[in-house]
Amino acid sequence: MTGIYATALIVLALTLAGWAVVLLIVNRPPGAALIGAAAVLELVLVGFAVGGIVQMLGTDREFARAEFVGYLLACVAIVPAAVWWMKDEKTRAASGVLAVVFVVVPILVVRVQQVWAGAGV
Amino acid sequence: MPVSDATAGGEIGPDTRRQVNRGFGRVLVVVYAVFAVAATARSGIQIATKFEQAPVAYLLSAFAAVVYIVATIALARGDRTSRKVATVAIVIELVGVLAIGTASLLLPDQFPAASVWSRFGLGYGLIPLLLPFVGLWWLRRTR
Repeated sequence: MTGIYATALIVLALTLAGWAVVLLIVNRPPGAALIGAAAVLELVLVGFAVGGIVQMLGTDREFARAEFVGYLLACVAIVPAAVWWMKDEKTRAASGVLAVVFVVVPILVVRVQQVWAGAGV
Repeated sequence: MPVSDATAGGEIGPDTRRQVNRGFGRVLVVVYAVFAVAATARSGIQIATKFEQAPVAYLLSAFAAVVYIVATIALARGDRTSRKVATVAIVIELVGVLAIGTASLLLPDQFPAASVWSRFGLGYGLIPLLLPFVGLWWLRRTR
């Protein structure tokens, strides 16, 4: 659950967070480009979740499996939920919504890694 | 006729700057929602798997989760009744984080496991301490 894929995921999410913050500062709602990038992030997150569950099923090691799956589900749900919640908002607040969520994604990914490594709640 | 005019005048073209769930309110709801989900999931797992280890801390976590859920829904709905519900929930949140934060520093033995509000939410970047102040400010500003 560590390795290049998770690292690339974190870098991508933080890049999008920076992008959203720039839009927030210049007083703009997100455009189609950022929404498209969010869709790419979502695909990477789905891959992360599927890969995580496959790896989990492939090991007998003791770790907090319920939490692990919970964090992976949160990873998959958070970006679509944010896009849905900001879609009616035509102000820069919509960029703010995405900025928050793009910062939360790396935190979730790190928590997934911690739970995989054996840390508890 | 004047009555219906007055009513219509109040309904037509609401000033979006005064809507709780618009503008900055959208962002606020997201932050509340993240805490609602995080606190609910965490306390649910704690209570289900190791309740006897730290019942007080885990019950407080569950209480915090309920407060965050109520505040999130009330802020997201944003109608008149919801504003009142949100205000009450956020005042409880403020009292809770101050009380639990203080208690966790004075009586660390009673808080062997971290809850959202212990040490004023230091484990969550002190956001649990800041959030109720921001929430009350926003409710006041959109009044």
